[in-house]
Amino acid sequence: MSGGEIELIDLNKHFGPHRAVDNINLQIPGGEFFSLLGSSGCGKTTTLRMIAGFERPTSGQIVLDGADMTETPPHKRHVNTVFQSYALFPHLNVFDNVAFGLRRQKVEPDQVKRRVNEALELVQLTSFEKRKPAQMSGGQQQRVALARALVLKPAVLLLDEPLGALDARLRKQLQVELKSLQQQVGITFVYVTHDQEEALTMSDRIAVMSNGRIEQVAPPEEIYEAPATVFVADFLGVSNLMDAVASGSDATGRCKVKVGGFDCYAGRGSADATGTTKVTIRPERVRLEPKGTGGENRIPGTVQRWVYLGNSVQLIVGLATGAKIQALMQNTGEEIPYREGAEVAVHLPATALRILEDTGAPLASAED
Amino acid sequence: MYPKWLWPVFAVPGVVWLILLFLVPFYAVIGVAFGGVDPIFLNAVPNWNPLSWNYDVLLTTLAGFLPGNQYWGIFLRTVVYVALALTGSLLFGYPVAYYISRHARRTKMLLIALIVLPFWVSYMMRMLAWVNLFSPSGFVNKFLLWTNLVQTPPDWLGGNHASVILGLIYGYIPYLILPLLAALDRIDRSVLEAARDLGASPASAFFHVTLPLSKPGILGASVIIALPMFGDYYTPTIVSGSPRTTMIGNQIDIFFHGGPQPSVGASLTMILSAFLAVLMAYYMITIAKAQKEVAG
Amino acid sequence: MTAVTERRRIAAPSTAQRIRNWILNPWGEPRGLVVITWIYVAISIVPVVVAIMFSFNAGRSVTAWQGFSLTRWYLDDPRSSVIGDPRLQHALLQSLKLAGLTMLIATPLGVMLALGLARWRGRLASASNFIMLFPLVTPELVMGVSLFLVFVNLFTFIPLGTTAQVMGHVTFSLSYVVVIVRGRLFSIGRQYEEAAADLGATPWETLRLVVLPLLLPAIFSSLMMVFAISIDDFVISAWLSCGSSCDTVPIRVYSSTRGAPLPSINALATVMVAMTLTAIGIAWVVHRYMTRGERRTGKQGGMTQAMGAFDL
Repeated sequence: MSGGEIELIDLNKHFGPHRAVDNINLQIPGGEFFSLLGSSGCGKTTTLRMIAGFERPTSGQIVLDGADMTETPPHKRHVNTVFQSYALFPHLNVFDNVAFGLRRQKVEPDQVKRRVNEALELVQLTSFEKRKPAQMSGGQQQRVALARALVLKPAVLLLDEPLGALDARLRKQLQVELKSLQQQVGITFVYVTHDQEEALTMSDRIAVMSNGRIEQVAPPEEIYEAPATVFVADFLGVSNLMDAVASGSDATGRCKVKVGGFDCYAGRGSADATGTTKVTIRPERVRLEPKGTGGENRIPGTVQRWVYLGNSVQLIVGLATGAKIQALMQNTGEEIPYREGAEVAVHLPATALRILEDTGAPLASAED
Repeated sequence: MYPKWLWPVFAVPGVVWLILLFLVPFYAVIGVAFGGVDPIFLNAVPNWNPLSWNYDVLLTTLAGFLPGNQYWGIFLRTVVYVALALTGSLLFGYPVAYYISRHARRTKMLLIALIVLPFWVSYMMRMLAWVNLFSPSGFVNKFLLWTNLVQTPPDWLGGNHASVILGLIYGYIPYLILPLLAALDRIDRSVLEAARDLGASPASAFFHVTLPLSKPGILGASVIIALPMFGDYYTPTIVSGSPRTTMIGNQIDIFFHGGPQPSVGASLTMILSAFLAVLMAYYMITIAKAQKEVAG
Repeated sequence: MTAVTERRRIAAPSTAQRIRNWILNPWGEPRGLVVITWIYVAISIVPVVVAIMFSFNAGRSVTAWQGFSLTRWYLDDPRSSVIGDPRLQHALLQSLKLAGLTMLIATPLGVMLALGLARWRGRLASASNFIMLFPLVTPELVMGVSLFLVFVNLFTFIPLGTTAQVMGHVTFSLSYVVVIVRGRLFSIGRQYEEAAADLGATPWETLRLVVLPLLLPAIFSSLMMVFAISIDDFVISAWLSCGSSCDTVPIRVYSSTRGAPLPSINALATVMVAMTLTAIGIAWVVHRYMTRGERRTGKQGGMTQAMGAFDL
C-alpha cells in the first residue's frame, strides 16, 4: 500500500472562546504509526475527529496525499476510524457490521463475502460472523471494530484510545498485535492515547500535546531521552524537574545555569537559553557521592527515603536548594552506603543535565 | 435486615385500592354487559354470577362490527382517523425529535422545555385554543380570506374529517415526541459517526442505522398515543360535533348518556378493551423480540 | 517546520466548491429540520398564547381583539367573569378540591406501594406489579366507564359526586406516583440503608432517617405531578360527575366550546393552565434544589428521565 500521507496545516478548532486545537502543523508520512499523546482535554481527540471529518476546523487545512480534504464530509474521506467505545452497530451481527462500509460502496455480494472473511481472518475472528456485538467480550468487539475499518482498505486508520476500555493484560497483548497488524497492512495509523507507555511501545513517532498545542514531535526514544519542554519531561514520568536560571552558553557550548544558588552546567537542551526555566535529569543518571566531594555540578543534600525496588534502589534526596530529587541506583549486589539521614554530595553530570523550554503548559505533577 | 412482612404490608393498601377501583370496576363492566336491563327504568341489572351470564348482547354487538353492519362504519372511521393521526404525528414529530436529539446544541434545553410545555397545558385548554382559531370568524379563516385563497370561509368545525384528524394530531403529538426523543437520545452518537466514517451518506446513515435503532422507540411512542386515541370521544365532539365524524368512543358515550343502553355500552367497552389489549400484546411481543435481537 | 514551503503546493478549495459546501454543509445542522422544529414549536404554543390573550379582551369576542382589559373576565364582569359567574367559580373550586384531595391521598398510597413493590419478591408481588402498570395504558374512557358502572351498580353506598371523583382520580394517578418514586429508589440503591443498618439503626430508624429523607424529592415531585394531572383531567371527572354541581374546569371548558364561548372561558382555562404550570414549575425547582450536587454523578438525560413516567 502506498500513500496515506497526512498533512495538517495551521489547523485550529475553537469551541467558543476555548481553543481546543491551537494552530497545529504536522506531517505524517505514509505507513507510519503515529501517536497523539496527551492528557484528556489536550486536543488530541479533536484533532483526530477533524482528520476523520466529524469536526470542521475553524481554520487551517487537512491534506491527504496532496489533496485538500478540509471540506470533504466524513463518508467521502479515504480514512477510517476505530472508536473508543467501538461504536459497533448493535442491531447488526458481526458479518453485517464488517460488511457495512462495503455495501455502502455497492460492492458485489460475493466480493463482500470474500473481503469480510479476509478481514475477520486478519483479526482472528472467523466463525463469529453471526454473533451480535452484545454477545462478545470487549477484546472481541475491539477486533470487529478493527476489521470493520480495515476491510475498506483505508489510506489512514484513525484509532481513538481503542484499548482504553480493556483490562491491563488484554491491553498489553493487543498492543503487540496492533503493532504487527500495522506492519502487515502497511497503512498509516494515527493513534490517540493518554497512556505514555502505550505510545512509547507502539509508535514510530509521537506528538505530545497539551492545551491544544503540540509540545514535541519525535520518535519514542527521543521523546523519552530528550524531552524538549518541561511539559513533555513531566508527562513522561519522574524526571526530577528543578527550577533554574539560565544565562547562556559558555565557551564549551554548555548552558550556564544557577540551580537554587549553585552554579551548574547543562550539557543537553538549548545551550543559549536565558532566564528562569527548568532543568531535568533522569533518576538513573543522578550520582551520589560522599559528603564534601568537589567538582562542578555538585549540590549537597540529605537522603530522606530509601526504597528497595528489587533490581534497583530508589533514594529520595533533599537538596540544599530545598528541592527534592530522585536517584535510582542499580542493585549490583554491593552495599549502598547512603541510608536515610546520610549527608551526601549529589552529582548531576553536565552530560545528563538537560535544560528545558517552559511552554507554560500546566503540569500533571503540579497537583500533588 | 427488614422483617419479611414489611414490604407486603407496605404494598397492601395500594394493591387493595387498585383491586377495588381498577379490577372490580372492570368486572362491573363485564357484569353489566352480560346482565339485563330493567324494562321500566332502562337501567342496568348487572349479573355478577359467571354461570348465568347472558352473552346475547355482546354477540349482537360483536356482529354489528361485521362489514355493512351498524358499527362497521364507525369502527372503520375510528381506525382510519387513528391511523392517519398517528401517521401525521410521526411524520411531523419524528423530524422534530430527531432534530432536538441529534443536532440542537445550544438550543437543546430550550427546545426540550418548549416541547414539554404543551404537555402541561391542559388538553381542554389546547382544544379551546384550537377551536378559537378555527371558528368561522377565527384567525385561520381571516388569514385565508385575506390571502384570497378562498372566497367563502370554510366551515372547519361542522363535521370536517380533516379537522378531527388535525385535532387529534394537535392533541396527542406532545405525548409522541417526548418518548421518541428519549429513544433517539439513547442511540450512541458514535454509532452514527461510525456509519458516516464507513462511507454512509447522511441519508444512508439515517436509513441504515438511526431508523432501525429507533424502531422500538417509534413503536412505543405510537402505542402510547394510539391507545388513548382509540378511546377518545371529546376531540371529535369539540372540533366537529357532527354524527359524520363520531368515533367508537362517542358511540360508547351515547349508549350511556344519550339513549341509555348500558349493556350495549358495556359490551362495546369490552370489545374496545379487547381490541386494545391485542394491540398492546403485539407491541410487547415486538419489543421483546427487538430486545432479544440486540442482546442476541 | 517545512509547512511554509509545502503550503503553496496544495490548492485550497475553489470558490465554487466553497459555495457548494456551504449549501450541502456536512457539518452544519440540517436547515429543513430546523424549520420543521420551530414550526412545530410555534403551532403547539401560539394558539394557546392567543387563547390566553383573548382572556384579556375588553369585548365579548374570542376572535376579534377589542382592547385590553386585565380583569374584566377574571373579576369584574358581574355576570360572566370567573368570579362573577357562579358556575365558573364553582368549577374552579371543585377542580381545586379534587386536585388537593387526590394529591393528599394518592401520594402516600403510591409511595408505600412503590416501596413495597420495589422490595417485595414473589409471585403475588409480580402480579401486583402487573396490576399497577395497567392504569398507565388503559384509555381513560375505559376507566371512566368501568368506574361509572361500579359506583352505579356495586358500590352504591358511594353516590356519583365529589367522593367518587376523588377515588377515580386517585386510581389513575397512583401508578404515576409509583413510577416516579420507584425510579428514585433504584437510583439511590440500597447502600445507604445497608450503611445505616451496619451503624446500628433499627429497620424503623432506617426507614425514617435514611429512606424517607432520600425519597423526599420524589415525594414532592409526586405531589405536584398528581395535582397537575388531576386538575387537567376531564374524562374521569365527567363520568363520575353528579351533574352541574360537580363540574370541574375542564368539563366547563368542554361544554362551552360547543356554544358561543365568552372570553371568561378563556380566563377560566388560563387560570387552570397557570395552576398546572405553577405546580410543575415548583416541582422542578424544588426537585433540582433537593437533588443538587447529585447531578454530576448521576446519569444523563435528566429532563427526559424526569418525564420517565412515559417511558413504559
